Amino acid sequence: MSSTQSTGVQSKTAYLIAIAIILFFWQVAAWFLPDFLMPDVWTAMLRLWQELNSGEFYEGLANSMSRLGAGYGTALFFGIILGLLGGTLNAVRSPLKAAIIILQSIPSIAWVPLFLILMGFGNLPIIVVVAIGAFFPTALSVMNATESVEKVHISAARVMGASRFQMLHRVYFPAVTPELITGAQLAFGNAWRALISAEMIVGFSSGLGRSLAYSGEVADMTGVMTNILVIAILAAIIDQVLLENIKHRLLRYQYL
Amino acid sequence: MKLQFEQVTKTFGSLEVIRHFDTRVETGEIVALVGPSGCGKSTLLHMVAGLESPFSGRLLVEGKPITEPSPQRTLVFQEHALYPWMTLLENVALALEFQGRPRKEALAEAGNWLAKVELPGFEDYYPHQVSGGMRQRTALARAFIARPQVLLLDEPFGALDALTRMTLQSVLKDLIEEERPTVLLVTHDVDEALYLADRVMVFSHRPATILKEITLGHIPKTHDLSAFAAERREVLELLGIDAGSNKQASNPEGTHP
Repeated sequence: MSSTQSTGVQSKTAYLIAIAIILFFWQVAAWFLPDFLMPDVWTAMLRLWQELNSGEFYEGLANSMSRLGAGYGTALFFGIILGLLGGTLNAVRSPLKAAIIILQSIPSIAWVPLFLILMGFGNLPIIVVVAIGAFFPTALSVMNATESVEKVHISAARVMGASRFQMLHRVYFPAVTPELITGAQLAFGNAWRALISAEMIVGFSSGLGRSLAYSGEVADMTGVMTNILVIAILAAIIDQVLLENIKHRLLRYQYL
Repeated sequence: MKLQFEQVTKTFGSLEVIRHFDTRVETGEIVALVGPSGCGKSTLLHMVAGLESPFSGRLLVEGKPITEPSPQRTLVFQEHALYPWMTLLENVALALEFQGRPRKEALAEAGNWLAKVELPGFEDYYPHQVSGGMRQRTALARAFIARPQVLLLDEPFGALDALTRMTLQSVLKDLIEEERPTVLLVTHDVDEALYLADRVMVFSHRPATILKEITLGHIPKTHDLSAFAAERREVLELLGIDAGSNKQASNPEGTHP
């Protein structure tokens, strides 16, 4: 208990130091460059405050978040199912793994032109691109974890008369949860990158990526830096606060 | 439940682990299988559990061949067989939940069994928070809660220190006396075999065949096994321990220089 607490404090301190260093370099660049090329940290913060008080910002935020939720959620759902299937069925495992490794090397953003024409301008192509980005790490981590579930845990359940469903639900699923969470955090990183870049490319509607691209198009550097700030802060909140919390809740037994 | 092994042979690829194993185990009998490690004793247990099938020969329970696992034939593993994501109570209850018993009922009964193995107050601990001895007590509770007719023990106390092991042997003996299942115990602790079993089978190196069967009968025993010194010496000699050093073996103190 005390060790997890102290590492928690340590990692928080590490984050604060990292943030200070990043902001410091930004500010140094702002001192050397003219204002229209690189705004002060303070100027961007002020703009952020103004944005937070405008309705437009929240509309974009809501659009981005709903795309993220739909894409990421779908990826987790199918990633877990396919991962469990691939991990338990020997016939499916190797081909599935090979397919994932091949497809995973394609940057998810590369699918945008195809899906744009296939699905038309709308939310769907962005959601699909987000889902592709998040699916592979999820499926791979679940599959690898399923494969390495301890044999004695499976034998014990068989001896106790577990049905197939009970085996999946009570043994495999909890056994793979630690790796699943790691995979889901990795998947979130992919999904987030895919979301922002897809929104930047697909020039319609509103969203964080679109807002960033627009600021660039009109050479509003304060807008650019403010958007980057928002993207970074949101990612940190979702990953370090939301997902970490879920992790501690689901893996409570490991932290006792 | 009566067990019959008829010329059971088991191979893994080209590796023959058991050759023409043939014996009967009567209902309520306690049989210990002793032999060098890796000789195929555990494989025999796994076959009775229904986790593996024989390559040739037949394995019968009450005259019927074993085709799949059944809660009537339960297996206690050496260690790490408890689920780390469940508390001790949930681990024990799981055996009943897998048989379709409602969770609440299963948890209540699991509590009774944890009390029986002298673990009251530890219900909500996770396996990694308690000692190896406590984990194996839980494993025993999880095995007995299903009221098995055949109890298979695969070196259940092999990872424990000598004192804890003896305490757990007593706990196990009491549970067996109470429930009277047919017991197959794989061990390489000769004293454990003599203390718990009605009959001891000594196995050879792989492929496993029976070197000798020693019948002790179902009699009350304590951990003071001095009355079984002759049997003990015989088993040790068969296993190649102290072989050819009869002078030492007959030393009344039984100590080594």
